[in-house]
Amino acid sequence: MQDYFLEVQDLKKYFLAGRPSMFNRAVEQVHAVDGVSLQLRRGEVVAIVGESGCGKSTLALTLMGLEEPTDGKIIFESKEITHANEHDRKLLRQRIQMVFQDPYESLNPTQTIGEIVGEPLDVHGLIHSKSERELKVVKALEDAGLKPAETYMHRFPHQLSGGQRQRVVIAGALVLEPHLLIADEPVSMLDVSIRAEILNLLADLRRTRQISIILITHDLGTVGYFADRIAVMYLGRIVEIGPTHEVLTNPQHPYTKALLSVVPVPNPRLRRERVILQGETPNPIHLPSGCRFHPRCPIVVERCKVEDPAYVETGESHQTACWMVGT
Amino acid sequence: MTDLVTSPAPLPTSRLTDFWRVFRRNKMGLVGLFMLITIVFVAVFAHVIAPYDPSATHDVASSDIYNPPSAAHWIGTDDAGQDVFTNFIFGARVSLIVGFFAAFISVFIGGVLGIVAGFFGGRVENILMRFTDIMLVIPDLPLMVVIVALTKKPSLLNIIFVIGLLGWTTTARIVRSQTLAVKSRKFVLRARAIGAGNRHIIRHHILPLVMPILVVNAVLVVSLAILNESTLAFLGLGDPTAISWGQMLNYAFGRGAMSTGAWWALVTPGVGIVWVVLGLTLFGHGLEQVLNPRLETHHLMRPRPIVKHEATGKPLRHATRQRVPSEAPILIEVDNLSISYLTENKPPARAVENVSFTLREGELMGLVGESGCGKTTLMLGLLRLLPAAGQIVDGEVWFGDTELTALTDDEMEAVRWKGISIVFQGAMNALNPVRTVGDQIAEAIVKHNPLMKGKALEARVSELLDLVGISPEHKKHFPHQYSGGMRQRAMIAMALACNPKVVIADEPTTALDVMIQAQVLELLDSLRKKLGLSIIFVTHDLGVVAEMCDSVLVMYGGVTAEYSDVDTIYNTARHPYTQELLKAFPDLSQPDKRLASIPGYPPRLDDLPAGCRFAPRCPLAFERCHIEQPEIHQLSERHFASCHLVEKRV
Repeated sequence: MQDYFLEVQDLKKYFLAGRPSMFNRAVEQVHAVDGVSLQLRRGEVVAIVGESGCGKSTLALTLMGLEEPTDGKIIFESKEITHANEHDRKLLRQRIQMVFQDPYESLNPTQTIGEIVGEPLDVHGLIHSKSERELKVVKALEDAGLKPAETYMHRFPHQLSGGQRQRVVIAGALVLEPHLLIADEPVSMLDVSIRAEILNLLADLRRTRQISIILITHDLGTVGYFADRIAVMYLGRIVEIGPTHEVLTNPQHPYTKALLSVVPVPNPRLRRERVILQGETPNPIHLPSGCRFHPRCPIVVERCKVEDPAYVETGESHQTACWMVGT
Repeated sequence: MTDLVTSPAPLPTSRLTDFWRVFRRNKMGLVGLFMLITIVFVAVFAHVIAPYDPSATHDVASSDIYNPPSAAHWIGTDDAGQDVFTNFIFGARVSLIVGFFAAFISVFIGGVLGIVAGFFGGRVENILMRFTDIMLVIPDLPLMVVIVALTKKPSLLNIIFVIGLLGWTTTARIVRSQTLAVKSRKFVLRARAIGAGNRHIIRHHILPLVMPILVVNAVLVVSLAILNESTLAFLGLGDPTAISWGQMLNYAFGRGAMSTGAWWALVTPGVGIVWVVLGLTLFGHGLEQVLNPRLETHHLMRPRPIVKHEATGKPLRHATRQRVPSEAPILIEVDNLSISYLTENKPPARAVENVSFTLREGELMGLVGESGCGKTTLMLGLLRLLPAAGQIVDGEVWFGDTELTALTDDEMEAVRWKGISIVFQGAMNALNPVRTVGDQIAEAIVKHNPLMKGKALEARVSELLDLVGISPEHKKHFPHQYSGGMRQRAMIAMALACNPKVVIADEPTTALDVMIQAQVLELLDSLRKKLGLSIIFVTHDLGVVAEMCDSVLVMYGGVTAEYSDVDTIYNTARHPYTQELLKAFPDLSQPDKRLASIPGYPPRLDDLPAGCRFAPRCPLAFERCHIEQPEIHQLSERHFASCHLVEKRV
């Protein structure tokens, strides 16, 4: 048994669809995260890939402790934190930080960049003087690639471009020197030419600071560069997980194959056969019977409609939940 | 590299000067502010201004009562022989004091209750808001009358408290709804994620965004409080020792001013009340324009008639383009189009400069560029839907045999939707939530084709939905019952309502998942084949267009970087920007390679570099690039690039 930095065991998060009332006590449940298990080593980058509605953002919020898990366990640095109390939670916030998807919405428009980046320090009472605060803010800004930091400190978010704002969000997370960074679609709102910079920045941080990163995205194309492993999520569960190279070059699950086939390739000479799945992720209130992917699966067989597939080893530390694997 | 990132130095303007700069433009607000300042000035310096001492009541002869305006008494005298002007001035003092202090109490209570209810929600909210509802239902004035009458001796302090304690309900409701809106924004979640507690979040994140609305509301509460005070005083429930405008009215009315024709005793306090309330209302209106975040003026305005004049700066020579012989006829020909945003006191933002392209029947053109490169402006210019500040300053747009920039607004209206239609960026969120999707599509049809009715209209709606892959039974559903992908399809159906020849799709897939994105692309491609549509696909993602476009126009900083057929762009691109963009693309077949990125950021359109607009970020830039803007060079029949390096090799 290896010692993991973060271990998630059979994590579940259900929401109630509507409020229970006097007349309707049996309210249906949304199975947002439905049994996710995941391990992370120090300094490792795991990408969680899936369409919207697959529960990847809920998974992020649950790991952050911003949503209370319904069931399962989260163990972080050898300590169970599933239902941490307020005091422990606040300490954890220093070690687990998050980068949000929308850099236009996740910065308070009335605060200056300096205030935003320094805010975590104030909240945790980590600084004792003004100069110390400034020093740390400047360092975080420069680490996030906003140089020279002084030109940004007194500006407001609306005076920055999208890429710069996302760097501010990252600086705000870095200032606490976290051990784990959860990045929820950090580049999906940005221009292509800026995306690479932000991804490279995250890759550098991981290298220089040994930060573990959970990268959440819907785009398989952007994860290849620096994720060590990829977990593909569908309707609240991981359907395939394995080393990045393995998953990208030798995908096993039909869903992974479909996702890979629609990644845009900037070369018209390489127009490929694309597997465009019809319809959208079904609603997570009434889960399909058997394998949850079977209604959209191009290679579905009878068994898939009845029995939920278990994980099968399809390579070294490469697991897939599909009945058709290896047959 | 660092010098690339430094855009103009931060402006250390204080928020107050910022505020004043915007507020100054609001005429009504200025008038209101002036009215308030004068009356506050009068109230503060009452002792200096007033010609008489208000407490001097001795020596009143009957001849002094209700004297008309004269040199000694500018606005005459009242029932007690006192100077009306003096009373008016001192009355202002009382009215304003009661108004401001009572409003302070109301706003404070309302603000606290609203924020607490909105922020904590759940049971707390339920109790507080039901209490607010009850208070709102009870008629204020009778209650005030009862309470004031119950207090043995009505003093000014009592009146302030009664008015203040009863006037907070609307404030509470407004603040609660604003708090709810702010609470759901992402930066509050982010604050939680960094470990901030409720108190910190309320103070640093909720309050600053609720404050503007609270301030605007406070202004209106003040005027209500002043009205209430006047009413109470008029009913005889005021403090008899403090003369207020209401009190003046009360005395004048009760002691025969009407019957003796002493209009001045009645009109003067009335004017005071109207003056203050009007001043506050106008001032509040002005404040709201500046402070209320919901009144931002981002929406499209009707285009002004187009004024043509030479583009600012040196006009570029344009290589003569040769018509490419091809079987498909040309539908749209844009020739040297330039569009600027003209704002007062600012240099014009040259959003689009000298852009030319042709679109043939059945062609799918990709218009690629980063945000702020002018691609949306170009499309809006084509349709003449530019916001008021946007002006076509040069160039022509040919749609068949019509030159669009020369059309009148009415003529243009006929081209829009029937000839060229557009699917706006983020349009799928613009559907009206309380009407069915079918209804909204029908509305689009009827607007341009008023004769279509009943069965025919129904059939057309079904046909359109079917065309975009939505089963017609969904037309009775509301937008919230549609998924993001379906809403986007519905928007495309709407754009097809009048059988246009050209559809402009402005970033139709940007907010969607890869799989849905692929579905929408497939749909557009099939529509083109089925209906012979021409499509202009606007995107920032080169990868998206590679698989289906015929031609690609790459824009950078408002100019054409490169324009050619899709194969050339992706395989033998000549402009460094295109080359860099392609390198920045993740390549799944080589996952270990580090992503190439283009350092720096696109230029601001109101602060363009002197030479080539890409030069500050270009890896191949040399001296000339920083000085001279490159022309658009024709490299082959259908390959244009604007770069000095290209010229050398021609």
